[in-house]
Amino acid sequence: MWHGIDMYSLVYSFGFVPCACEHQGIVDDQFTQLRKLEDENSPHFVMEVASLFFEDCEKLINNMAIALEQKQGVDFKQIDECIHQLKGSSSSIGAMRVKNACIAFRSFSDGQNREGCLRCLQQLSHEYSLLKNKLQTLFRLEKEIVAAGGSIPRVH
Amino acid sequence: MALTLPSGDQSSDQDNWDNGRLARKRQLLTEIVLRNRLTALVVDADTTCRVLEQLLLRSYGVQTQGVDNGRDAVTLIASGVKFNLIIIDMILPILNGLEKATRQIRDMGVHCKMLGVTACSGESERQAFLAAGVDVFIEKPLDPEHLVPILRELDG
Repeated sequence: MWHGIDMYSLVYSFGFVPCACEHQGIVDDQFTQLRKLEDENSPHFVMEVASLFFEDCEKLINNMAIALEQKQGVDFKQIDECIHQLKGSSSSIGAMRVKNACIAFRSFSDGQNREGCLRCLQQLSHEYSLLKNKLQTLFRLEKEIVAAGGSIPRVH
Repeated sequence: MALTLPSGDQSSDQDNWDNGRLARKRQLLTEIVLRNRLTALVVDADTTCRVLEQLLLRSYGVQTQGVDNGRDAVTLIASGVKFNLIIIDMILPILNGLEKATRQIRDMGVHCKMLGVTACSGESERQAFLAAGVDVFIEKPLDPEHLVPILRELDG
């Protein structure tokens, strides 16, 4: 009866995986609203945009890491620009914990506190990794369900 | 295999009722069917934000174009292309969204609705952006609850 459908697919079919992401604060209602916009014309756009976001996020985190390592002095203006961009994109896709990490980061950047910025960068990297892992799991499950002949329950 | 439900706080019946009413209210706020064909220009340097903003607009049937810097926005409008709505980020490369692009667009005699967006907002940024010529100022993310009333107004 359950041939080809594993435990995770069952869990997904009960709506727990997407809810778990929102319940843990990893994503917020903005993400849910974006998912509601997916339809037969653009069924995967959230996944595609998430991929764009992951690329940009990694680039910005890397740029900030390099900036904070500069021996001749940290360019806090550059750090601020990176945080600003990342806050905007994370809030737009609904990545709540990444966004909140940016808000905390900004206060240390404004204060030109290098040690504080390094701690924030670490936290930001952690939140990004968590988000990427959860969303990639979610999207993978959806692919598996569709490949097994199932359909993705649309959020309403 | 037994399915283990995730543990968590049990919502009261009152909480479920209140959440249901709120969800329905939000659904009503974000539903719209446009009678007219509206057009919009999205000016945002961040790919994730620009793509999401365009997708959100398209989901409501708005025909959109996107550019990633202020100069291209000014050039496009100067070429005679008309839009009902321009969504412009405050910080843009080449021609800044706040001081340059918005003012130049208004100086060209363009009177369409302009929605200024930014990742980090304070009262001074809000006042400056409004003074530059935007009609509405929103802190990112651009979400249906902010966008739909504007689209309703433009649709007459």
